[in-house]
Amino acid sequence: MEKIRIVIVDDSPFSIALLRDTLEENGYEVVGDAGSLEEVKEVIKAQKPNLVTMDMTLPGTDGLECTRAIHEIDPTIKVIVISSMMDEEIMKEAKENKVSDYLQKPIDPDELVTSINRVMASDELYQLLEMESFPVFKESLLDGINRMTKTLLTFKDEYSVNKEYESNGITVLIGIIGKFSGRMLIDLSKETAHNISAALLRREPKNNDEIIAAIAEFANIISGNACSVLNRKDKALGLRVAPPSILYGDSVYISAPNFKTTTAIAQTNFGELLINVGFSRGEEKWT
Amino acid sequence: MDVKHINPFINAFATVIPQLGFSTVKKGALSVKGKELLSSGVIIVLGIVGAIKGNVVYTMDMENAKKIASSMMMGMPVNELDEMAQSALAELTNMLTANAATCFADLGISIDISTPTLLHGKNISLKMSSSQVLCVQLLADDIPIEINIAIES
Repeated sequence: MEKIRIVIVDDSPFSIALLRDTLEENGYEVVGDAGSLEEVKEVIKAQKPNLVTMDMTLPGTDGLECTRAIHEIDPTIKVIVISSMMDEEIMKEAKENKVSDYLQKPIDPDELVTSINRVMASDELYQLLEMESFPVFKESLLDGINRMTKTLLTFKDEYSVNKEYESNGITVLIGIIGKFSGRMLIDLSKETAHNISAALLRREPKNNDEIIAAIAEFANIISGNACSVLNRKDKALGLRVAPPSILYGDSVYISAPNFKTTTAIAQTNFGELLINVGFSRGEEKWT
Repeated sequence: MDVKHINPFINAFATVIPQLGFSTVKKGALSVKGKELLSSGVIIVLGIVGAIKGNVVYTMDMENAKKIASSMMMGMPVNELDEMAQSALAELTNMLTANAATCFADLGISIDISTPTLLHGKNISLKMSSSQVLCVQLLADDIPIEINIAIES
């Protein structure tokens, strides 16, 4: 793997020397340093680093202004603030300025390495989620149906569309939250919901509430199991599920979110069932 | 379900709405509903996990949804709730809930939120997981938005 290329922004030659040594000892390549806004712009344009360590107090400027200047040149460059000042207000401002992490001086080398690796890993992590999440959710659905009803299912169509669609009857919605957030949606007709809940309950459901409760718990198990599998692939994902919300009504349309989701239709013994899953690249969460 | 959980959402509304081209913010009625909500128009659901867990559901009728989207898009007329308008409303709820999450953090309650999912239709029944749902009506330039908060105990 190529070395991660880093620029150090700090007005203290002592801090720069210290950081440079720490970074180089840990296998990173320090490609430049800067102590003012002009120098920052110059070195970023010239070096195109992967990451910048940013001091907050700089002569004639500050770390946030420099961060904005860096992101104007290249929004993909990650910025980690390293400052002696650390309070909630300043951290909030840093987040608003798309800073990836915030560390306090004096720097603990292990803490710095962990932070850099975590920040740089997020692109890879999202790719992992993009590649593997949908197969895992499909597997979880198949496994769930199999274990809870002793039946099998087959997947027919699989597609990604960026258009709203009309619900078949009942929609179960589960918000997913973690390093990246997203959602799982299960959509099925009232008949299919009735049939599945009868199989889950091993008797005829007494009323609509029982059907809804059974389907909600079913979806909860599917999403929970899928997220556990994904978290085992990389624990940095830290995915957790919110409680299910169930919606039904006259001609309900579910709009396409502003991130990519994938849909598959499962053919079960109880009728057709739609599963839709997607995660937003969005802003990363600090851990 | 704790009534104090509603304040972060009210504060968020008062903070965010004036930044989006609205000039007045008012607080309407506060009510407690059962776990089933009935609504027509636009429904936007976001999940919450962390120190507390649940969902927040924003509802507004179709005409009001268009008015809000129009105001957010610098007064551009919105005749149909098209993709652009839907995206604006989803982003609105994302901003409101993210801001509420910051208010929760100030209370020492750490939460994270999911992406919003927007649905629209008529006579939509919505079942939430908690047995009680707190509902507060808030008005942006007299356009009502209902915020339904279902937190599991």
